[in-house]
Amino acid sequence: MQEMQSEHKTASGREGSSSAEVPFSSNGIRLSGIEWIIAGIMCVAFFVAAPRFWGRFEKFGPGTDYRMPYALGSDYWLYSRYCRWACSHYDTLVVGDSVIWGHYVPPYNALSHYLNQSAGREQFANLGVDGTHPAALGGLLKYYGQSISDKKIILHLNPLWMSSDKHDLRTDKEFRFNHPRLVPQFVPDIPCYKEPFSQRVSIAVQRQIPFCNWTAHLKTAYFQNMDLPTWTLEHPYENPLEAVVAGLPAPANDDIEKAGSWKQRGMGQQDFQWVDPYTSLQWELFREAVQLLKERGNTVFVLVGPFNEHMFKQEGVTPYRKMKETIEVWLQQNNVAYCIPEVLPSELYHDASHPSAEGYALLAKQLFADKSFRATLLPAGTPNP
Amino acid sequence: MLFQTWPFALFFAIVYPAYLALRHTRFRLPLLLAASYFFYGWLNPLYVVLIAYSSALDYFVAARMEKGRHRRAWLAVSIANNLGLLGFFKYGGFVTDNLNALLSSLQIPYEVPSPGILLPAGLSFYIFQSLSYTIEYYRGNIERERSLLKYATFVAFFPRLLAGPIERAKNFLPQLHKTPAISAQDIADGLSLFVVGLFKKVALADYLALYVNKVYAAPEQFQSPALILATFLFAWQIYFDFSGYTDMARGIARTMGFRLMLNFNNPYLASSLGEFWQRWHISLSSWFKDYVYIPLGGNRKGTLATYKNMFLTMVISGLWHGAAWTFVIWGALHALGRFATRELERTSFYREKVPTLIKQLFVFVFVTFAWIFFKADSLGKAFMIVSRIFTSGLADPHCPILAIVLILAVWLYQYVHESRAGWVLALAPVRVTTVVLMILYLTVFAPSSEQGFIYLQF
Repeated sequence: MQEMQSEHKTASGREGSSSAEVPFSSNGIRLSGIEWIIAGIMCVAFFVAAPRFWGRFEKFGPGTDYRMPYALGSDYWLYSRYCRWACSHYDTLVVGDSVIWGHYVPPYNALSHYLNQSAGREQFANLGVDGTHPAALGGLLKYYGQSISDKKIILHLNPLWMSSDKHDLRTDKEFRFNHPRLVPQFVPDIPCYKEPFSQRVSIAVQRQIPFCNWTAHLKTAYFQNMDLPTWTLEHPYENPLEAVVAGLPAPANDDIEKAGSWKQRGMGQQDFQWVDPYTSLQWELFREAVQLLKERGNTVFVLVGPFNEHMFKQEGVTPYRKMKETIEVWLQQNNVAYCIPEVLPSELYHDASHPSAEGYALLAKQLFADKSFRATLLPAGTPNP
Repeated sequence: MLFQTWPFALFFAIVYPAYLALRHTRFRLPLLLAASYFFYGWLNPLYVVLIAYSSALDYFVAARMEKGRHRRAWLAVSIANNLGLLGFFKYGGFVTDNLNALLSSLQIPYEVPSPGILLPAGLSFYIFQSLSYTIEYYRGNIERERSLLKYATFVAFFPRLLAGPIERAKNFLPQLHKTPAISAQDIADGLSLFVVGLFKKVALADYLALYVNKVYAAPEQFQSPALILATFLFAWQIYFDFSGYTDMARGIARTMGFRLMLNFNNPYLASSLGEFWQRWHISLSSWFKDYVYIPLGGNRKGTLATYKNMFLTMVISGLWHGAAWTFVIWGALHALGRFATRELERTSFYREKVPTLIKQLFVFVFVTFAWIFFKADSLGKAFMIVSRIFTSGLADPHCPILAIVLILAVWLYQYVHESRAGWVLALAPVRVTTVVLMILYLTVFAPSSEQGFIYLQF
């Protein structure tokens, strides 16, 4: 080893060093201050230009009854783009979770479709995202729905998210819920969310930066929700560039889960452990979402349910009604237009909260018959179909 | 706290401005020490107690040695304390496991209880650094550091605390004595080093780890091509991982006005095993030369003694890396490789007729083969991998072409850098473009999973 050391060459290489005694590096990549400024400008230019250029390069033509493709449910950059498009093409945006998205039905059987049918024109855009919940919906609107201003909004509140401590994200035991990147990372504290501090900071920073959202879009849309290295592990001999130029996945109709009514699916009555709205995290974050939309100059109309009350055991009815009353009082006190439609017939539910196609059609009729809905969202004189 | 994470970015964003503001005042060193202890304690607050104890003891030992009496005894205290800490935390499990295996084979019905303590990150690095101080002071090569604050900062300096470089007191302590001059070029240099290190770690090492870990987790499920490729990729993964850490450490230190030594110098361009160790983990190999190889007698007592000393040094070096027989074999293999290339270099044919590229290839293949023992979980698994490489059939390895392309690009870059055409890479447009491409790759394509540094376990 001594010989090895005696043979030791100067490692500074030819790039020189500002310190005679300590070689700089072994690769010669050494920039001056000016060169760093040039490199910085080039990078910043790319960071700013790439997402914008990509928006022009990437074909995106949402048509009638468009909704976010299921596979792109966590592509928030695309959601943001869709929001901008929807704002310029539709009067009213229907925002919510999988009930609005239409989990068990094709796009042409979702609520927005039947609302448009009743309106006789393309007025309602489906901005539902499968898998979201009020805590995530707030983040979705805050960070990715910034273009939603001075619009009419139907904001759906699914009581399912208050049907147990787990749905309300209040359990101390960690579990993985959908769309963790959209929920508040620090305040309010979500007890079941145990992501490391490092990851939370990363999420909080990245969702503020359009470039980061764009890179996430590339991963979600073209690399099957994987980063490039992981994708190459799955597709070792494929050219990543070919995957990128292939275009966005189409919002296929076959990504829906075929299902019968809840009884046909073998589901029985359940004992829902409704949480107190005064302590509910999901309700707190839903209210924040309403306030956010109002602050942006939107006209907000809240649709509560209709939850599948046929699934209740007798003892679950009273707490649910109390919870609905509390919600109703808050909406009234805050001058938020709302509708709590009557429960649909039992056979029109696929589970606790998702209606069937016929259920959506009936719900649209109920809404069009609702005074508050008509007054808030429809032009005067719109006939009741 | 790892350099490539957001918490470190936050930490540095707070510490660095404070450091710049206070560096001309007497609060500079307290700030550096507090920041270093916070950085270390982030992993586990108890680690701070250990490093504070280790620093205080060696400071005290040097003070006792200065008084002139029982110098040798005090040196022994320092060595025993440092190696005792290392032995307790790092080798306790290894020793008890082997003792129990021995007792079992002798059919003695007794089991030595395992200490069951996790190795504190960076322990081997700062123990060696602190030990070098007491040895050098004993030898009269350096002055005693009179300030405990400076000494503790020397041991705990956060950029190099977790995985080196293992700095020498004569190089680093003088830098703590003066107010560091930080020029714009220092900041530019620091950035250059950091970005290159980050690219090596995040874009390359973490990428290669995906395939390597998959194959090495269940080698019995893979055949020869996959095992060869995984071993080839691991050779580069560990290089990118460790040298990436060092680059980032040096870059951070540079922005604070400190110079840390070069630790890697394109090791896979070495044309002999001896040269490989001049280019790989330079701070450790020079440490072993100064404190193990030379005290053993070095090359002063004939060829046989030289080889014996080399062998012992390499085996101890292997053990330093980890308390397992796989590391002992790895060290022994390197010793044997060193003997072989040393003898080959003595022949004029090998020296003059064999092209350098062939020698480089030979060394790389040998080093890569030895990595099997470094990477495998156990000796049994290592031998199984070696056996399967030669006996299992051929099957599609499903190894990403992109990974191979990236490695070849880096190898080509290093090759050109050390060749006569190296001036091309020194051109400003080439350097700026390279940095921009690295940053863009990092921001667009880097793996989203966060992986620790391999050498933190040592």
